Amino acid sequence: MSRDELNIKDNTSLFKEARYLQQRENKKQFEAPCSEQETAEALAYSKSAEYMEKNFSRQNVVINPHKACQPLGSVMAALGFEKTLPFVHGSQGCNAYFRSHLSRHFKEPTPSVSTSMTEDAAVFGGMNNLIDGLENSIALYKPEMVAICTTCMAEVIGDDLNAFIGNARVKGVISEEYPVAYCNTPSFVGSHITGYDAMLKGILSYLYTRSGIESKPGSGAESGEKLNVMLGFEPYTGNFAEMRKILAAFDTKYTILGDHSGNYDSPATGEYEYYYGGTKLEEVPQAANALGTLSLQKYTLKKTQEYISGTWNQQIAALSTPLGITGTDKLLEAISELTGLPVPAMLTEERGRVVDALMDSHPYLHGKRVALVGDPDLLIGLIGFCLETGMEPVHIICSNGDVDYNEVKFKEEAEALLAASPYGSEATVHVGRDLWHMRSLLLNDKVDLAIGSSHLKFAAKDAEVPLVRVGFPIFDRHHMHRYPIIGYQGTLNLLSLIVNTILQQLDDHNSGFNFELVR
Amino acid sequence: MDPVRHDEFDSQACGSIAPKVKACPRPKPGEAAGGCSFDGAQITLLPIMDAAHLVHGPVACAGNSWESRGTLSSGPSLSQYGFATDLTDSDIIFGGEKKLKDSIDYIAGRFAPPAIFVYSTCVTALTGEDLDSVCKEAAERLGLPVIPVNSPGFVGSKNLGNRLAGEALLQYVIGTGEPEPETVMGVNLIGEYNIAGEMWDIERLMGSAGIAVTSRITGDARYKEITWAHRAKVNMVVCSRALLGLAREMEGRYGIPFFEGSFYGAKETTYSLRQMAYLMNDREMERRVDRLTEREESRLSQELRPYRKLLKGKRAVLYTGGVKSWSVISALKELGVQVVGVGTNKSTQDDVRRIADRVGDDTEYIPEGGASRIIKTVRERKADIMIAGGRNMYVAMKEQIPFIDINQERHKAYAGYEGLLRLAKELAYSLGNPIWKLAASPAPWDKEAPPYDR
Ligand code: SF4
Repeated sequence: MSRDELNIKDNTSLFKEARYLQQRENKKQFEAPCSEQETAEALAYSKSAEYMEKNFSRQNVVINPHKACQPLGSVMAALGFEKTLPFVHGSQGCNAYFRSHLSRHFKEPTPSVSTSMTEDAAVFGGMNNLIDGLENSIALYKPEMVAICTTCMAEVIGDDLNAFIGNARVKGVISEEYPVAYCNTPSFVGSHITGYDAMLKGILSYLYTRSGIESKPGSGAESGEKLNVMLGFEPYTGNFAEMRKILAAFDTKYTILGDHSGNYDSPATGEYEYYYGGTKLEEVPQAANALGTLSLQKYTLKKTQEYISGTWNQQIAALSTPLGITGTDKLLEAISELTGLPVPAMLTEERGRVVDALMDSHPYLHGKRVALVGDPDLLIGLIGFCLETGMEPVHIICSNGDVDYNEVKFKEEAEALLAASPYGSEATVHVGRDLWHMRSLLLNDKVDLAIGSSHLKFAAKDAEVPLVRVGFPIFDRHHMHRYPIIGYQGTLNLLSLIVNTILQQLDDHNSGFNFELVR
Repeated sequence: MDPVRHDEFDSQACGSIAPKVKACPRPKPGEAAGGCSFDGAQITLLPIMDAAHLVHGPVACAGNSWESRGTLSSGPSLSQYGFATDLTDSDIIFGGEKKLKDSIDYIAGRFAPPAIFVYSTCVTALTGEDLDSVCKEAAERLGLPVIPVNSPGFVGSKNLGNRLAGEALLQYVIGTGEPEPETVMGVNLIGEYNIAGEMWDIERLMGSAGIAVTSRITGDARYKEITWAHRAKVNMVVCSRALLGLAREMEGRYGIPFFEGSFYGAKETTYSLRQMAYLMNDREMERRVDRLTEREESRLSQELRPYRKLLKGKRAVLYTGGVKSWSVISALKELGVQVVGVGTNKSTQDDVRRIADRVGDDTEYIPEGGASRIIKTVRERKADIMIAGGRNMYVAMKEQIPFIDINQERHKAYAGYEGLLRLAKELAYSLGNPIWKLAASPAPWDKEAPPYDR
């Protein structure tokens, strides 16, 4: 049928009809016995400065959290390796959440299984579930490696993964050679980023150790010119493509350690395969011989970085998400330093073009007050980007920001960055706070723009602040993750996103005499 | 109008802890299973829109689930807030009861909800937190119902969680309040969650027939209305066997007759409305219902005509939970769509029997999951469309199979007569979209045939 033959209303317009409004009125009799005035007063109070203080002294309840748990990150890390099946050891619900969470963000299926532990497992331990689970999932999904992470349940009862996997081998459920990597990721510690780190380190160290290779950094004609690259907990598949483009321009050989972009951006061919792309398993031990490792999320990848510089004895360049011109400059310098190759002219030219674009837009950005929510490395990048465009970060919330790298805490770095710029003078950085705190901040000290995930939309709406969706998760917009936000090209994307939101605001709120055509 | 309901060999609620026959089957380790009991309990209770829902556990359970369901509210939105105690390792070691108590106090002080539901999770159940006594103490101190929901994820499936939530309602909510004397009593709708606003369509229909809704359990509900659910004249269990236990218990305790019904499809809708009037024992109401349903059905069949032409003979694979399987089959049949494959993974024996009553012999039953199993059925049975839950949607897209989301994430209301019309329209749109042709034809320079022709 090419056109509507009938006018069937969707729920948004349908329920604005009088009969439904009436129904809604009738229902008020059941609601908490407060008058409209009381309700309005309570709402107004929740927006007051007095309440903000109370809100910030709140200790023991989280309202509208902005972090996910460790195993969710582990599942993402596992999907970065070729034909690897993420395997969550715990009760079934967690895995169902991880799958729908990741799928809703990427709009792609997420292959991941669970050991579905139940009460008997809670009492007797989860060994049988784990062994049966390995047998079933390998038969069903035919992975070439299984990557196991734990949930809080398995951790509380103290399941010993190493022993269980060993027993599965003894029982002949899996052969001696079959690769099974694992990590411990209780949800009551850390967040999705530490879980990502734990699994990445788990897989790298496992594949390296069993290969029997001795790392010789920079050795061999073939491997010696190679670079390892880690993007970390990366919600943008476009960022992988951008990174590839940059490395190709340098003409260096490289291995991306943990590349889930294939899994989350596969073509529609008419046939679904469980596994798309990913770092090849045999590349991992070889990566130990690379010249050095470039990490684009230094807080996220802390343990993996320590492992690589320690055990593999490699030089590490650890950055935060390379956003903006300065951020990307640092990235190119780091590649240049690690490989000894000059920055290609093509990228210098691209830089010039993006600087030009930033200049075109700067009048609309200058002095715009922004609120930021995200993971630590993303925030460092975003703060840098804002400062270099004349935008003023005001409220910054990082729920999982209590992490450090080389003994510098995220909060200290963020504050130092802000202190170094006149545009950062008004900013406050809050770690361990949630989106209900952000709501108070937005209501009490107004900003022009909020930048963060879809979850921020509730607070942003209350405060009538436009939201630019950046980070994870983005559930309510399509295809954002396909556009890079790193590198010069990513900077351009981010710029258009932000400046066009501001211009749209101007149109939406024009007072009649400034509804102009040219900007 | 007999039989009112079937009390047959498998009439126990799905998710019974000690099933006599096959209850909700447990997932096999190593499979991609569905949600946990905690999730199930939340799903049942979250649509009580003015209550606060506090998750006691590490951030995982709440952080991964808050505000991700499409149950609509016509007013209060407190239920949208993600409240969590966010336990960390030291709380696991030293106990999180203090944190829980403080959280309850904070929520009571700041949000003044009519009630607070407190959910246990795997961790707090394992560390042996005494949810019941913390809630009891807080309730007494605050003069506010604080209801423990003991449904940690590991006890089993989502369905079991639904059931445990029903038990919490029985134990702590139903029967604790009284309606205003002038309120007209009618039907409790049990297990209808107002996804995409379906409850509102149903209520309007009931309103036209003069049947009052006493309590919504729980779509777009207010806490207070559930407290007097025991005063209703009839209970209808809508599409959720898991809450059958609740209805049965209310029959025993309060003598409220119940029946199971659905609003998917015109026939089921008519049946349900008639059944309500019949059990209300009100002749006048029965006549009103007859007039209404006749009118609605004939209007509907007019309006459906263009769609029926388009949909006739189309083949569908249906993969959805429990009761919805059989009720949606009825709806599809009315549209002329043939169901050639149907998921029975969450169905009880009774559901399966009802499915069998409604489909032909050549329909394949898909007992257990995995996307590949569903896809295989679609291919082998040459189905034109797949009707399933959101988690399977992206797999369907990869395989270029037209798809309709029928589960909890759906954004379209399919209940009632108008709902059937919407379903028809969605089916026609999904099947007729030009993208399928485009997807099935190779690039012009690529002569190879596409992997599947349909
Ligand atoms: S399975 Fe347990 S830990 Fe996982 S989401 Fe459900 S209640 Fe939470």
